[in-house]
Amino acid sequence: MRDLIDFWVGVQAWLFETLVSPVLFQFGLMAWYEPGYGAVEFVMLGVVQIAVIAIGMRYFERRWPLEKAGTDDGLIMVDRVYTVLNKLGVIPLAIFILTYPLVQEIELALRSWGYSPPRLERLLPWIGDNALASFLVYFVLYDFAAYWLHRGQHAFGWWWALHSLHHSQRRVTVWTDDRNHVIDDLLMTLALVLFSQFVGVQPGEYVTILMVGRLIESWSHANVNMSFGWLGDRLLVGPRFHRLHHALSTPADRHVQDHNFAPVFPIWDILFGTAIYDEKIRPTGVDDAAVDADNGRGWLVQQATVFGRFVQALIPRFRRRASAR
Amino acid sequence: MNRLSIAALAFSLVVSGAARADSVIVLNSDEASYSIVSRSARTEVVRLPVGREPHHLILSPDGKDVLIGSTATNELLVLDVKSGERKQVVKGILDPYHLAFSPDGKWFVTAAYRLDHVDIYHADGFRLAGRIFIDGLPSHMAFDAESKTVFVTLQQSGRVAAFDLATQALKWNMPVGNAPAGIVMLPDDKRLLVALTGEDRIVTVDPKDGSVKGSLQTGKGAHNFFPKGDGRHYFLSNRVEGVVSLIDTKDEPKVVGSVRIPGGPDCMDITPDGRELWVTQRFLRRVAIVDIDTMKVVGSVPVGKSPHGVFMMKSTATVTAGAGMPVRAASTAGDRK
Repeated sequence: MRDLIDFWVGVQAWLFETLVSPVLFQFGLMAWYEPGYGAVEFVMLGVVQIAVIAIGMRYFERRWPLEKAGTDDGLIMVDRVYTVLNKLGVIPLAIFILTYPLVQEIELALRSWGYSPPRLERLLPWIGDNALASFLVYFVLYDFAAYWLHRGQHAFGWWWALHSLHHSQRRVTVWTDDRNHVIDDLLMTLALVLFSQFVGVQPGEYVTILMVGRLIESWSHANVNMSFGWLGDRLLVGPRFHRLHHALSTPADRHVQDHNFAPVFPIWDILFGTAIYDEKIRPTGVDDAAVDADNGRGWLVQQATVFGRFVQALIPRFRRRASAR
Repeated sequence: MNRLSIAALAFSLVVSGAARADSVIVLNSDEASYSIVSRSARTEVVRLPVGREPHHLILSPDGKDVLIGSTATNELLVLDVKSGERKQVVKGILDPYHLAFSPDGKWFVTAAYRLDHVDIYHADGFRLAGRIFIDGLPSHMAFDAESKTVFVTLQQSGRVAAFDLATQALKWNMPVGNAPAGIVMLPDDKRLLVALTGEDRIVTVDPKDGSVKGSLQTGKGAHNFFPKGDGRHYFLSNRVEGVVSLIDTKDEPKVVGSVRIPGGPDCMDITPDGRELWVTQRFLRRVAIVDIDTMKVVGSVPVGKSPHGVFMMKSTATVTAGAGMPVRAASTAGDRK
């Protein structure tokens, strides 16, 4: 294990000291020295994730596909663009630049008032002695927050306008997880970072949670006819469970997408009554012509179009507020 | 070393007081933990939890305790310096990024790096005497020999500020260069050395008025000092260059030795026998061991993520250095001559 860590940080340090550090030094950006090193790790983790998806997960999709290859296969290409932009840090960097001042202000304001984030190790000291237990506890907490945020994405019209881009894909595959509008990504990142700080997740733990969580989420979108077994499907979100959340609604099944929200642990859906387990294979997408039109568009056009939907969803609310005054 | 021998070593360290004096504390700033490393076996014995983002640690004036500052949880963890036993947690110390006692042991000062203030406490009971808000990321500290003034580097604004400890009044605030970090008062009490992390040099500053009197090229990212213990030589970590320089401060400072330490070398400490310099390698999750006579790396110990502060546990230590770093009693006595 230590050899692996040495190899990993060796590559990270070499990349940082060769490519990033000289630039930061040259332009007087030494305040970003440590974050810059973390950013290199983020990109490296992204490369690993892309490799796991492209080589590992795609093997299962080719070997045991749920939906056979068809005329809609070209729709997958744009999802690959989303994945590369996200995993290699282009979108996260933009989000970081936008959210950092706000997150920083909130954190510093709280700290200057003497508030220090709780650390679960104080309540449960045994966690501190076991790195795996500590990771799992924080991972479960993180997933709990992500579950409720996901419900929010479906509950509020303006948020659904953004999130509908993710659901509009008719060919859901391992590449679909990153198909999100940048504002949607921004809101989710902001909320999850603040939540993580509030419960005391360490920066190193946050990166690991993000890495493992996003890989599981990529897998849960896989076009694979596989099951973890009765118990396994109740412990971890798999492709069948999550595919139902992407199912195209029908008159008989109008609210099918209001189920199976959990990103990683289905326990939240089971506890809060939103879980459905069945073997029925359904087509995916959104039963709304305007949203379905996202299919076939490129990254930029999708972003612009969905932003228009988002504004339209917000404006009536503003008008109502204005008229109420 | 296999698991069984590590377990045996850990057990022996737990039961043996003598072995505890053989221990080194390393703060893993990115994972809320500190490592206990065996100096003789050069291996991590155990990793223990501490508050979030621990960066620096300091020996108490009576030499009995070592204090670890956890910046994000606003607290100090107090450990017994001989046994390593946890004695107490001092709450309400805001953002204790860097921490230091004045040479007379009466004042305890913290630099709140992210919250932009310097806090001056009465060391007895950690009673806050004054909080000075100052822009520019206050980072490292040094004191004059009489314990009247604390000098603080302001990393973002490129300045050094001097504060009167008793009144907490600003004496001066002067530009010195790009991203000043480590600062040390030389034994003559007439020269401050300041490391410029945004440049490749250190500057000599007059403690009376903050004027820059001289400059010495060392390496990119000049960052932190540690006294060799002879009252004359100082080690300097150059983070971007990946080099630790040895500087002779007699007359005009000059570089008299260097050793390549990759991975963003940062804080340092010296073994009680004065033979080894231990240097944290922030990016490599290791501590490098340098033979001081030959200035060659002779060992490397894996620890946790982003190791920052390092401290040799030793039973003979009695006082602290002005630069905010714990040192051996012998070396400090030498520096104060």
